[in-house]
Amino acid sequence: MKQLKLAYTSLLAKHGMGAALFVAISVTLWVVVFITLPQLSMLDYSFRFNLPADQIGTEADHYTLEQYHSFFFNSDGSFNALDITILIRTLIAALIVTMIDVLICYPIAYILAHGAKGVAARLMVIGLIIPYWINEILRAFAFRVLFGSTGVVNTWGMQMGLWDAPVDFIRADVALYCGLAYAYILLMVFPMYNAIEALDHTQVEAARDMGAPLWRVHWRVVLPMAKPGIVSGATMVFMLTAGALAAPQILGGPSSLWFTQLIYQWFNESSNWPRGSAYAVVLLVTCISFVLLMMRVFKVSVGEIGK
Amino acid sequence: MNRHTLFGGAYALAFFAFLFGPLVIMATTAFNSSRFPRVAPWECFTTGWFGELFGNARLMEGLMNSVIIGVGVVALAVPIGLAGALALSELPAKLRSMLYTVLILPILIPGVVLGISTIVLWGQITRGTGAGFLYNGYFLTIVGQITFVSAYAMLVFIARLQRFDATQTEAALDLGATPGQAFRKILLPFMAPAIGSAAFITLLASFENYNTTVFTVLSESTFTTALASKVRHGTDPSLSALAVIIITLTLVGALTNEAYQRRKEAEAGGRASRSPLYANPVTRALTHPGIVFAILVTVIGGITYAGSQYDSSVCEAAVLQEKLDRQEELRAEQRERIEAQEAEQGVTVPKPDSAFGGAFGGVGTPAAPAAPKPESPSAFGGAFGGITAPEVDE
Amino acid sequence: MPDQTPDRSVLLDHVSIRFGNFTAVDNANLKINSGEFFSFLGPSGCGKTTMLRCISGFSEPTEGKVLIGGKDMAGVGPNKRPTALIFQHLALFPLMTVAENIAFPLEVRGVSKKERRKKADELLEMIALPGIGDKKPGELSGGQKQRVAIARALAVEPDILLLDEPLSALDLKLRQHMRTELRAIQKQVGVTFIYITHDQGEALTMSDRVAVMSRGVIEQVGEPDRIYNRPRSAFVASFVGENNALQGVIKGQSGDLAALETPMGTFEARVGGGRKYKAGDAALLFVRPEQLIPGATENAFHATLTRQEFEGAANHVFAKAGDSELRISMVNAGLAGSLPGQGESLSLGFAPMNGTILPVGHMASDS
Ligand SMILES: Nc1ncnc2c1ncn2[C@@H]1O[C@H](COP(=O)(O)OP(=O)(O)O)[C@@H](O)[C@H]1O
Ligand SMILES: [Mg+2]
Repeated sequence: MKQLKLAYTSLLAKHGMGAALFVAISVTLWVVVFITLPQLSMLDYSFRFNLPADQIGTEADHYTLEQYHSFFFNSDGSFNALDITILIRTLIAALIVTMIDVLICYPIAYILAHGAKGVAARLMVIGLIIPYWINEILRAFAFRVLFGSTGVVNTWGMQMGLWDAPVDFIRADVALYCGLAYAYILLMVFPMYNAIEALDHTQVEAARDMGAPLWRVHWRVVLPMAKPGIVSGATMVFMLTAGALAAPQILGGPSSLWFTQLIYQWFNESSNWPRGSAYAVVLLVTCISFVLLMMRVFKVSVGEIGK
Repeated sequence: MNRHTLFGGAYALAFFAFLFGPLVIMATTAFNSSRFPRVAPWECFTTGWFGELFGNARLMEGLMNSVIIGVGVVALAVPIGLAGALALSELPAKLRSMLYTVLILPILIPGVVLGISTIVLWGQITRGTGAGFLYNGYFLTIVGQITFVSAYAMLVFIARLQRFDATQTEAALDLGATPGQAFRKILLPFMAPAIGSAAFITLLASFENYNTTVFTVLSESTFTTALASKVRHGTDPSLSALAVIIITLTLVGALTNEAYQRRKEAEAGGRASRSPLYANPVTRALTHPGIVFAILVTVIGGITYAGSQYDSSVCEAAVLQEKLDRQEELRAEQRERIEAQEAEQGVTVPKPDSAFGGAFGGVGTPAAPAAPKPESPSAFGGAFGGITAPEVDE
Repeated sequence: MPDQTPDRSVLLDHVSIRFGNFTAVDNANLKINSGEFFSFLGPSGCGKTTMLRCISGFSEPTEGKVLIGGKDMAGVGPNKRPTALIFQHLALFPLMTVAENIAFPLEVRGVSKKERRKKADELLEMIALPGIGDKKPGELSGGQKQRVAIARALAVEPDILLLDEPLSALDLKLRQHMRTELRAIQKQVGVTFIYITHDQGEALTMSDRVAVMSRGVIEQVGEPDRIYNRPRSAFVASFVGENNALQGVIKGQSGDLAALETPMGTFEARVGGGRKYKAGDAALLFVRPEQLIPGATENAFHATLTRQEFEGAANHVFAKAGDSELRISMVNAGLAGSLPGQGESLSLGFAPMNGTILPVGHMASDS
């Protein structure tokens, strides 16, 4: 608190009353009204019954664990394997997508930082950014066009004789994984690139000069340098993938739901807001704990993210 | 060494093929008259899907809403992001990293969680205060999006602020400026380019957002949510037409920006300034960003006009006729076979096979006339989809 | 120049500035006179900038007071003080033109645009750079930027101009040229200049008076020649100019002179700072290289020549005596003269008035 006040006085001295007030009010508004209060409110809601509007605030409206209880258990007391499986599958799928992105982005980040020069490098940067400007929905749609039963992949595959009946890539979740991996490539490449770029290229040359094979140069010299970038990118990709809604809705097979879709159903189809809130809290807590765990494992701090 | 370069080049090519392949294929389907977005079989070149796109009332209404919301979000998120960056620059290290974590968190929190928490909070506020006017899709979407969009703006400002020389402010104060004057005349002009890019990024983020918006927009719809519900309920190539438009706009923007950056670099001196492109007055004028932009706009305008004049109805009619003929043929075949079967062993109703399910995506198999398994599933599934594909919503 | 020149003095009244436990300026107590060219000289990190920022109002002293023109400046912000600061890296505003930069102080005071431009042109005239008003600072050379920064600071019409190592970014030739120019500008405008530098050449050539600083402490204040000839501490003696230092023990003192016993013999020399010593006190003897004279009879001793460095006007000769190496500066007498050769034995000596005995303390090479 004292330090906050100190920062405010220093702002005041440097930029004047108007600017200091502007900063103080905006940041307070952001932190309190936009970030904290909604989360608290959602948390509060998740501990309530789903009541009709006229009963809210009455005797019946008291705190309960029922929403969380019904995430873990069915009404007959058996384990709610369905929802828990969906959560676990979502997390695993997000992890797989993240790893795919790490694998395909690392070489590009390295080439961009230390291989490509001049026009080629610029073209690559533009090329990376342009797909990101296309609407998320349309990007997912592109994969639907690609992987539909009369899509290019099926047509070519069959023409080349690789398979002879259309493969249902949508049902097999191939389209979904590809679409998700595609969607967040940029968020993986740039943090990696920033980290690798800081590496002095002569170090790579020196290591090569000493006779180290390329893989060892990467393992011993480049990768340690890239680590904060990889963790930062992986965190973002993981969180966004686990929290994705559009791509699973568009590309997901009819039989495999994403956890966010479950939340969506509680809200928009069953109109059970407290249940939806509880599920949202479950998702949030699981994702954040998972990321914090990974950061602990890889010894990287939150401050690295977004750099 | 050469081997590695070769491998790197090949990898980069494959990578960018993955990035652009889906977009190119999607864009191509915009010009195929087939009712289902696909490249093969190619039926007729058409520009009709663009007309269909602009005729979609729900999308156009969503576009309007998106613009309103986008303007609101930019107007609030940019100042908030700037305030966040300024606050971080004044805090001592430990508090700074704490605040940074809090402010960056909304980028990482799943969008659905932000959306839900926003409607829950404002729902409660509305109930508590009776301020019902707050509980509408526009307000909630703006509030919900600001939460994380401001963080994007903040990242842009942090990057710019790191290059600010704080002695500039001190110099202004020393020369007699009040702190407020120094802020307005020195710091804000320095931040101006970043304000531009932050506004652009926040607008794009607001426009694109689905996960949060789909909750907060309530019964209204934005461009993106309308788009999503269209995709979910059945696809047709007018979406590809939309992609063509967006890709074109993006390319125009990127090329103009590239011309601008190059020129700026050339003016700042260095290698580019000695390039013959800038020595010759004609090419020099041609590489001016304004001219580049004008040329691009003219070319695209020309193509659009030519496209709007193109009439594919003759070809389409021919293809339709061909399909009808083929269907007739198949029906005849089917009848023959059924008759033959009936003659042998009574009635059978063939089930639609999974090939059709695929063709209609997750929509579910429409009530389709029963058909026997054709010799070439692909061609048949396509032809079938082309004629009786379900009417897309509205 | 108006008849009644305003009081442009600065008084540092027992000023200390601390950052946490670290004392950046330790009890500075001195008066800078109206219209004076005053320099703070010291190695980098000794607290010069901190001192200057305190005078200009960017920080307040932890202890003590700063008075400008006789008025206590406590609580007066930098924009309210009659000072102008030339920053180490100039801090010209890159987005404004040169004229806008120079006229900025007038702009914030609400002076009309036309008048601002007129004043800017006048000042550009004064710094001998007419007609560059519409350029951006980025298009100027280092020396031009320097002068624009000075013009901008003078546009405030300050009583005190504070300069923080303004020449350090320039190349040698330009630096020497700017010394003359700065001095000329100061004479012309009559403003008190407080100049900060780690370059003793600058401090000694331009200043009316110099304060030598080390580790936050002002070691000595005085005219350049007094600083050079009559150092009052081991630090000043070793930091300003070249000096030979010999460690020894006092044998006795009579008035201004004392006898010091060293491994090379006992020497008689002047006592620095009018101090009193007892026999047996440890002390240092400083003798300048150009004041060690070959063949002199007073304080004579023998040394063996080890190496020479030729520098044009002077020859730097290094000789070993006892276990210390001495530096001797010999004027280049041209082809008519002759220099001793390597390994030769030399007889050297110095006048007692040219040797300075100072108490043992930290030296320039320690910091
Ligand atoms: N704001 C500050 N906080 C902590 N220490 C500081 C601060 N400013 C300066 N110092 C310390 O004070 C000492 C003197 O710095 P400065 O006045 O800049 O030296 P000079 O200008 O003589 O090179 C340095 O050791 C520096 O690290
Ligand atoms: Mg300094």
